Amino acid sequence: MLSGCDGRHNWMAGAGEESAQVKTLFIVLMIGAGVIWSAVVGAAIYAHKRGAHPNLEREARQFVIWGGAVLPTVLVGALLVWGLIILRDITADDGDLTVRVDGERWWWRVIYETPEGDVITANEIRLPIGQRALFRLTADDVIHSFWVPALGGKMDMIPGRETTLTLTPQTLGSWGGLCAEFCGGAHALMRFDAIVMEPEAFDTWLAEQAEPAKLSADNPGFEVFQAEGCGACHTIRGTDAQGPVGPDLTHLASRDKLGAGMWDMTPTNMARWITDTHEMKPDIDMPPYPHLNGARLDTLVDFLMRLE
Amino acid sequence: MPKTPHYDAPSVMDQGSIWILVAAPSIWAAHFLVSYWVAAVYCAKSTTGALGGLMEPRWIAVWLGLACIAVIAWLGVIAVRRYGGVFVIFEEITESSERGRDKFIGHVALLLCVLSVVAIVFTIIPGLVFNEC
Ligand code: HEC
Ligand SMILES: [Cu+2]
Repeated sequence: MLSGCDGRHNWMAGAGEESAQVKTLFIVLMIGAGVIWSAVVGAAIYAHKRGAHPNLEREARQFVIWGGAVLPTVLVGALLVWGLIILRDITADDGDLTVRVDGERWWWRVIYETPEGDVITANEIRLPIGQRALFRLTADDVIHSFWVPALGGKMDMIPGRETTLTLTPQTLGSWGGLCAEFCGGAHALMRFDAIVMEPEAFDTWLAEQAEPAKLSADNPGFEVFQAEGCGACHTIRGTDAQGPVGPDLTHLASRDKLGAGMWDMTPTNMARWITDTHEMKPDIDMPPYPHLNGARLDTLVDFLMRLE
Repeated sequence: MPKTPHYDAPSVMDQGSIWILVAAPSIWAAHFLVSYWVAAVYCAKSTTGALGGLMEPRWIAVWLGLACIAVIAWLGVIAVRRYGGVFVIFEEITESSERGRDKFIGHVALLLCVLSVVAIVFTIIPGLVFNEC
């Protein structure tokens, strides 16, 4: 249950340059606080043991002024500057690649900016190791917050505004991302995987994502898809399905997880997603299709699982 | 001997007036508000969106801040000269006299001046670190 404790969501994992910076700041703060606390308590015990010394009053007051006012002011000032510099670095406006992420209730629209044009996907973010990715974040409806704790900072997604954040992953693997600002019913089920790959593998993946779906027009599963009206909300590039409401499904089956980072991408989960949508994820805008069953459902699921 | 007799209302920043106490924190508050407003208006009007420059409003906050610090320094001088304020009061002030009150007011005003200067500096720092809205 406590997902903060496993490695995937651990902000102390230091899997990115940005999270490593925050971790250093945290450790320095903790050690500094420990030293100051020990010094204050030590001084208190010493003073108590030694008893009052009226002729040392002047020195004692000087000690309080320097130790109790001047030193904290200087230290807090230094920490302020350091913290601000970290914040400036992790919200910088340049990167080796640019990814636009739009927070929706309760999923993520993901757009990679490439020289050949935008590559649209959803609910999964892949990043090349060692490269600095600039995220340009927006929201469609309410305030969301974009956070991959193991990789870096957290940034609010605000309707009508664009915020920025950089992530520079340093460790391969699949890291957990989540919405960190309460945004309604399915907020806790609004997640995604941030998968860090070797640059070559990433380039191949991105090129595949840019392609339209590979399927023949008279595909029986696609006919069910269109007959049920799924295409009114979902886009499958290369087909007539061009709905803008829900996640782009062109390469749905290439994602590790279904339903915004929630369930394994398996035929069983896919069938359940279609018939018992609101049992799996309450409140979402997609209607359930309880009447779909038997061969029709199988054909549809089979079709969706082939969208790689 | 107090200069101002009891029945005479003290003039604004004269000995015996307590205006000097609120002056420095008010200047700090005003600087904070103005800096905030200027930056907000600049960023709202900036055509480059979230990445619009903070380069110009930051100098307004800095120069205004320096002016405010100068005024506060002058208030500090008044607190010392007219009120006899000191940083550290060693003997307890127990007497209910003009002198005792003045000394106390001067002392508090002086500390508030220091606090306000630190606060204004802390307000300016983020503007110097960030280049963007
Ligand atoms: C009214 C619009 C609408 C219709 C109609 C609709 N969907 Fe959805 N669909 C959505 C939305 C919105 C989401 C995202 C829900 C969430 O995760 O919060 C979604 C999510 C999905 C997902 C998960 C995508 C992912 O990245 O994990 C699949 C698969 C899916 N829909 C398939 C279908 C199928 C198949 C149909 C037709 C039987 C259908 N949808 C009909 C709006 C719709
Ligand atoms: Cu959210």
